[in-house]
Amino acid sequence: MNQGAEKLRCTKEPYIEVNGHQRIESIRFSVHSGDDIRKQAEVQVWKNVIYDVNIKPAPDGLLDLRMGPPNRNFTCATCHGNFTECPGHFGWLKLTLPVFNVGYFNSILNILKCICKACGRILLLESERRIFLKTMRKPRADPTQKDHLLKKIRQKCGSECLHCGYKNGVVKKLGSSLTIVEDFTRKIDGSMHEFRSALSHLKDGASFQLIHVLRPLKVLALFKRMLDQDCELLNLNDRPEKLIITDIAVPPSPIRPSVIMDAGMSMENDITIILKGIVNTNSILREDLEGAAPLFKCLECWDLLQVQVAEYINSEAPCVPDNKNRGLIQRLKGKQGRFRGNLSGKRVEFTGRTVISPDPNLKITEVAIPTVMAQILTYPERVYRHNIEKLRQCVRNGRFKYPGANFAVLSSGSTMDLKFEGRKNVANDLKYGDIVQRHLEDGDVVLFNRQPSLHRMSLMCHRARIMPWKTLRFNESVCNPYNADFDGDEMNLHVPQTEEARTEALTLMGVQNNLCTPKNGEILVASTQDFLTSSFLITRKDAFYDRASFALLCSYMGDGMESIDLPAPALIKPVELWTGKQLFNVLVRPNASTRVFLNLTVKEKCFSKPQNLSETMCPRDGFVYFRNSELICGQLGKATLGNGSKDGLFSVLLRDYNAYAAASCMGRLAKLSARWIGNHGFSIGIDDVQPGERLIQQNKRTIDDGNRECLDFIAKYNKGELTLETGCDAAQTLELKIHDVLNKIRSAAGNVCMNELHWRNSPLIMSQCGSKGSPINISQMIALVGQQSVGGRRAPNGFIDRALPHFPINSKTPSAKGFVANSFYTGLTATEFFFHTMAGREGLVDTAVKTAETGYMSRRLVKGMEDISLHYDLTVRDASGAIAQFLYGDDGLDPAKMEGKEGSPLNFDQLYMKVMATCPHRENDSLSPAEILQTLDKRFSRCDMAPEGGCSSEFKQKLSDFIQKRIVTLQQTRQALQLDENPAINKGCCKRETISTRISGISAKQLEVFLETCISRYYLKKLEAGAAIGVIGAQSIGEPGTQMTLKTFHFAGVASMNITLGVPRIKEIINAAKNISTPVIKTQLLSSSEALSARIVKGCLEKTTLGEVSKCIKIVLKPSQTYISVVLDMERIESLQMRISSESVRFAILNHPRIGLKPEHVITMSSHKLKISMPLVHKDQLFPLHSMNTLLPKVIVKGISTVKRAVIKKDKELYSLFVEGTNYLAVMGTPGVDASKTTTNHVIEVCQTLGIEAARQTIINEIKFTMDGHGMSIDIRHMKLLADLMTYKGEVLGMTRFGLTKMKNSVLMLASFEKTSEHLFNGAYSGRDDHIEGVSERIIMGIPMQLGTGILKVRQRVQDLTELKYGPDPIIS
Amino acid sequence: MVELLFEDIFTVSRVDPDGKKFDKVSRIEARSEQFDMYMQLDVNNELYPLLVGEKFTMVLASTLNLDGTPDSGYFMQGQKKSLADNFEYVMHGKLYKISEESAAGGTNVKVEIYVSFGGLLMLLKGDPSNAANFELDQRLFLLMRKV
Repeated sequence: MNQGAEKLRCTKEPYIEVNGHQRIESIRFSVHSGDDIRKQAEVQVWKNVIYDVNIKPAPDGLLDLRMGPPNRNFTCATCHGNFTECPGHFGWLKLTLPVFNVGYFNSILNILKCICKACGRILLLESERRIFLKTMRKPRADPTQKDHLLKKIRQKCGSECLHCGYKNGVVKKLGSSLTIVEDFTRKIDGSMHEFRSALSHLKDGASFQLIHVLRPLKVLALFKRMLDQDCELLNLNDRPEKLIITDIAVPPSPIRPSVIMDAGMSMENDITIILKGIVNTNSILREDLEGAAPLFKCLECWDLLQVQVAEYINSEAPCVPDNKNRGLIQRLKGKQGRFRGNLSGKRVEFTGRTVISPDPNLKITEVAIPTVMAQILTYPERVYRHNIEKLRQCVRNGRFKYPGANFAVLSSGSTMDLKFEGRKNVANDLKYGDIVQRHLEDGDVVLFNRQPSLHRMSLMCHRARIMPWKTLRFNESVCNPYNADFDGDEMNLHVPQTEEARTEALTLMGVQNNLCTPKNGEILVASTQDFLTSSFLITRKDAFYDRASFALLCSYMGDGMESIDLPAPALIKPVELWTGKQLFNVLVRPNASTRVFLNLTVKEKCFSKPQNLSETMCPRDGFVYFRNSELICGQLGKATLGNGSKDGLFSVLLRDYNAYAAASCMGRLAKLSARWIGNHGFSIGIDDVQPGERLIQQNKRTIDDGNRECLDFIAKYNKGELTLETGCDAAQTLELKIHDVLNKIRSAAGNVCMNELHWRNSPLIMSQCGSKGSPINISQMIALVGQQSVGGRRAPNGFIDRALPHFPINSKTPSAKGFVANSFYTGLTATEFFFHTMAGREGLVDTAVKTAETGYMSRRLVKGMEDISLHYDLTVRDASGAIAQFLYGDDGLDPAKMEGKEGSPLNFDQLYMKVMATCPHRENDSLSPAEILQTLDKRFSRCDMAPEGGCSSEFKQKLSDFIQKRIVTLQQTRQALQLDENPAINKGCCKRETISTRISGISAKQLEVFLETCISRYYLKKLEAGAAIGVIGAQSIGEPGTQMTLKTFHFAGVASMNITLGVPRIKEIINAAKNISTPVIKTQLLSSSEALSARIVKGCLEKTTLGEVSKCIKIVLKPSQTYISVVLDMERIESLQMRISSESVRFAILNHPRIGLKPEHVITMSSHKLKISMPLVHKDQLFPLHSMNTLLPKVIVKGISTVKRAVIKKDKELYSLFVEGTNYLAVMGTPGVDASKTTTNHVIEVCQTLGIEAARQTIINEIKFTMDGHGMSIDIRHMKLLADLMTYKGEVLGMTRFGLTKMKNSVLMLASFEKTSEHLFNGAYSGRDDHIEGVSERIIMGIPMQLGTGILKVRQRVQDLTELKYGPDPIIS
Repeated sequence: MVELLFEDIFTVSRVDPDGKKFDKVSRIEARSEQFDMYMQLDVNNELYPLLVGEKFTMVLASTLNLDGTPDSGYFMQGQKKSLADNFEYVMHGKLYKISEESAAGGTNVKVEIYVSFGGLLMLLKGDPSNAANFELDQRLFLLMRKV
């Protein structure tokens, strides 16, 4: 139509998908044959000389110039390009004799196992062959199924060929060398002797061999004879002879550059060195063969060639003697290899990195970039009418003066370097449409990042601010998402180079759009450290400011540039004084034109509820209440201003208003606090940790009390009077009790410190407001350091029966086992110091080990979940379109936007409060309970509240529950004020009526506003299509792992039962481990109130051996017969309610797998006596009897063998059982156990017993339990997604290399994960197709991925647009 | 003329019932003579020390202007004559909560009124009839004079 139309011009060509025929649809992996190699090659390499005398690459040598230039000094002889231009050309090398390819060695072995070594046909019955072929040809079968089938075929293959009758031997590998042999030793039959005797008259009879070597030449011949159908049956995509190397492709010289050193020496690449060896050996072999050298010498040479070719491909193969050279596989493998180092992650330009430092004067969204850096990082700006003067100035300034430019790309196509003179001319000639690579300036969009990039907030988009000096600076409020501090951390900076990239970065990665973490919706960018301290001090109840200082403080927060409405002073007479809280009113709402009405309540750390009064009257001022942007009461601390809360000030601002409101408020707070604390001063000194007289005395008392208590326990223990805890022995009980007491001492000392210290004490202030430190830290400095523990126990015995030689043997006193009674102020004694180092070292080792472990876990999780995204039909799918969830998290909501506790979308209380405050009552327009319900029902009947409309029933239920609660309060108020139910009747101006309205009435307008806000906000929280929730989920689970400390968990009430938690447990769950370290089955009893039944069930579960319940097991030797007599201890059995009789014991003995007695040998004499005689096969009776005698006590007569022990837990007169061990099914089947309420923490066992859905639920529950155990809240949606992904294939797949190969079928993705070469070789063997759909594959191929903004595929058919006609239709057409 | 919302004479019964938490501010507990109101009030004791047993008049008004013109909410410069002239201690704040007595009361329920003077809190508890003048978010002046 209009061909000459101007294309949209961008600074950099945006990625435009080429239409139709040029798109890479898939990559097929296959094996290169010798013919292919020859066809591709430019040159045949056969000379073993690399350089000739003139230090020029020798023709036909390994660096022949026809294969491309080996370094900068040469040009290509084929394409005449130089080192940077020529991509290189292949050569080829003909091998005299074929050799095996190490990568396919196992495949070759497996094929040989299945075919006849005489005729090359498959060793299967014709009928079987047909069936297998049919299944193998199924188009739907995925690679894992095919592998499975292949294994089955291999087992089915016989030894005798049905076509030629040849009897095949066993094919196997000979040791670690690359030799395949056919072994006939097992096939010896009668004819063998005959044959041997026939040969015996020959002198050299030994030459008859049972083991044949299958040399590559023979295998090649065999493979060539194979039928195509047989190949298909063996899942071979191609002809098998390609698996054997006959020709080697010599890689182009540019990928194995040669460095010329002075004095005519050259450094060759590893590959060249290996190839040189091959060329050498090859020529020697050829000469040997032609010159008729002895056979053994030829074979030796052939073997050497085989090894060298193997080294070329994989230098780490076991057959290669020394692997100092890097083979081809080594180039691909590992973190620095091609896949992970160059294809999945690439080096980029326009980046910077320096040390970071704080600057509270910057906005939250800004980053200060040093001028030196800004002069190197540039942005290509296109010249247009409005910026031409600015850019001219930039060009004139050139490279070395700050607001300058480095290059100018003129529309003529030439690039001008502005380093040199003549800039003025360039500037004057600047035209619209030219591009100037100008220096960074204020407001440019940059990406800012700190490693380790554990979650998406580790890479955010800031606005640049060019500043002097040499560090990157940003507001301290943004430390949290990066996990940065200023002790020398460095951070990275990237500059996006196109407008498209800038826009996308700003909207998706901007700091203001990432204030909340998608982990659980908590705010992450929030005030820290000093900001909290100063806010805390400013809002103290007794902080008063006169007019001058109040006005000064007001000017601090807006740089004196903002218009501020000065509020009326709180104290008018005798002097005008403003309080610090009023300063915060100004901070939140500086002037009347700022329409921010903040309403929130938060309980701070020091909150204690006053009796019979409203919470606001807390004597310590710990209840924060903002009403319409006025701070009513409360001293602000971490709960209100800090990160990690959902109903803090900034969260509420963000949810109720917008990100800008929150960000600007944060900025004002940062400026105010930084300046205020700079004037006020805040420091810590030795006097801050000097305890007063009273403190010393109180501490001494607590320590003495604790010590005495411990000594009492020890004395009791020594006498054996200690009452045992359930499931513990005496020593364990003692440890438990002492541990308890000592821990109490420390927390008691902490409390004393918190109460006794003066309020101006700096550590106290910091711990109270939550900026740094805990009461424990304070008590460690001032009062005592406390118990040091190693591995969760008191200090272990480093010497015989004692921890240190300073203490008596077997001493269990607190001080002998690592209790430090001194504080850091008083100083530790020598032994205390030693114990302290033990605990300190454990911490250090732990963190070091954990970082590596969690990093790997995160990597695996991300690799497994990277391609999961939400689609437009609300389903969650992977890249190939397989559905993982029908509706994300069962409601399709964004975890980052959740306001309520436990991932509920809204915090109704806060919202209700806001509506009530911002939308006040009119006179007496309160609704009656009936009217409220009526309005609610009416609203609920609208379509957007129905499940079809996209509203989850859970949300609807919660909303209606909340309204019900309000109605109940209303009724209570009216009752208390002695008013009747319905206010409509006496609508007069009764005083009480008015009061009740003001206390808890709802007007029609308020209710409407409330409901509308709730519902509309609910819909705003829906996740957008394309969201990469897979990666977000993986990061949300992986990132908290780094914060977890080693910790085991005690069951409440059952002190002795420990459960692994922390990283090891998460790892177990994610790996879907078959053996977990602490399997526990929780059971409920059918009659849970009876202690007796609990004990009976316990007896049934715990394994009881015969030795434990018998009085004696002895051998009886009588002349008539010999036997073993077993007498059961009936008293003991009765007392333990075990219900064991001689009959059940007999049954148990007969069923024992290792005893193997027949029923007639075990005879019950009476109810408690058994006689076991031995079968009379052996002449000697005594030895079997003795061995039986040692075996018998170990026979399990009752209980489940895999159960270690069962512990009864008593909880409010209700008994339940904790069973340590496995075999879920047997526990559920035990009489007395309520099977429907029995759970276990063993995922695999749940899957085997109850099925895949139960396993999914168990995964969710277990991850949640573990995370909760560490006080970490993670949105349930992430865990659901992970669990779904681990189970959606129908079996529990771990996030390991084994599980991932079953989950994904992209070769490239698997190759970039682990076992690179294996996946590539397997892919080539079976001719796998990679459709390049997933994230890894697309990154490797350099194509935008199909999630996030890449999910869109908008096409417009321009031609088909109908032309609009104005005017009447023509009469004659 | 100014319409006073509440006026009564109180006697201080306790100072800092929960212990002294702040240097310059103490919480006093007082009881009134006329309406038998119970009051808790945070007072700047540095400027206006109150001791147990002392009596004072307390007035709550919605404006300080003697002619009764409503308060603007913002501070006005100038030394006009005002209601404050007759009092020793004047605070300005906002009523933020009205509730019935938290404890389950019998027949005569009491109503609690909460006011915040820039973080210095006041609780006034008494018969519902006294509370009718007050409404939420009302700007209030508290004026005190020792008797």
